[in-house]
Amino acid sequence: MKTRFYAVYLGALTLLLVSSCGSLRAPVFDQYSYQKGTELKVDALNLMDKATMSYDSEKTAIDTFQAELDKMLEYQKNRENNTISYAMWKMITNPDKNFIGGFLKRWKEKGTLIGPFITEAKGQVSDALDLILQYEGKKDPVAENKLKAILGIQ
Amino acid sequence: MDFKDLLKELKGNLLSLMGSKFDDLKDESKKDVQDFLKASKAKLERWTTLLAEGNITLDDYKWLVESQKDLVVLQGLYAAGVSKIKLGHLKNSILDTVINTAIGFVKDKEDGNNEANA
Repeated sequence: MKTRFYAVYLGALTLLLVSSCGSLRAPVFDQYSYQKGTELKVDALNLMDKATMSYDSEKTAIDTFQAELDKMLEYQKNRENNTISYAMWKMITNPDKNFIGGFLKRWKEKGTLIGPFITEAKGQVSDALDLILQYEGKKDPVAENKLKAILGIQ
Repeated sequence: MDFKDLLKELKGNLLSLMGSKFDDLKDESKKDVQDFLKASKAKLERWTTLLAEGNITLDDYKWLVESQKDLVVLQGLYAAGVSKIKLGHLKNSILDTVINTAIGFVKDKEDGNNEANA
């Protein structure tokens, strides 16, 4: 009887810890985000190479890419405990910030862009997307999975 | 435009984003910040040369410098996120220890009861 009491007491204590512990709501690695992010990086850099040609001639490819970016942003927005990744994706896609969103806006405004600028801008977009991918890669599912296994909620 | 002033500004922005936390960062995170500033210096030098040689316009140059400033914010978000993850791991291991201690405690009690009943 006493053992059962201790078990219930400790179970309740654990649940209290679990529900109050913010770390369990820490970001968790997401394979889709990592994979899709990598694809978007490659697509973005390939598309940027075409900016020596007129925006209008590449409009179909740009629209397709933009739609993929929008989907990724929406996906990140709706992931739980994902404030930082969502903020990073918002910056990268924002036309008023100088990453891929801003690059596409500039291409549209100027019609065409020059080679040396494209090369340097690609470096910036690449660095920004690398940061997002590295951040996703730092999210470690091991600790959370271990805890879930102990609690039997996996 | 003097890239040394720009670098100083970037460094100032990054440190103010991190606030007083820079001194508390682990060596790995400090190295990230230092590597970033080193990379910024190299970029600013290269862009200034491209501008001076007429390979890019002043407008292009400004766009690139602005993008480096945006990258400072992104780097700040990254550093904050990594700190949060590390803190999460630490808290999880503390919680893990509490749970294991609790399991051990219950098992000891059960063993004690079984021995008493035997």
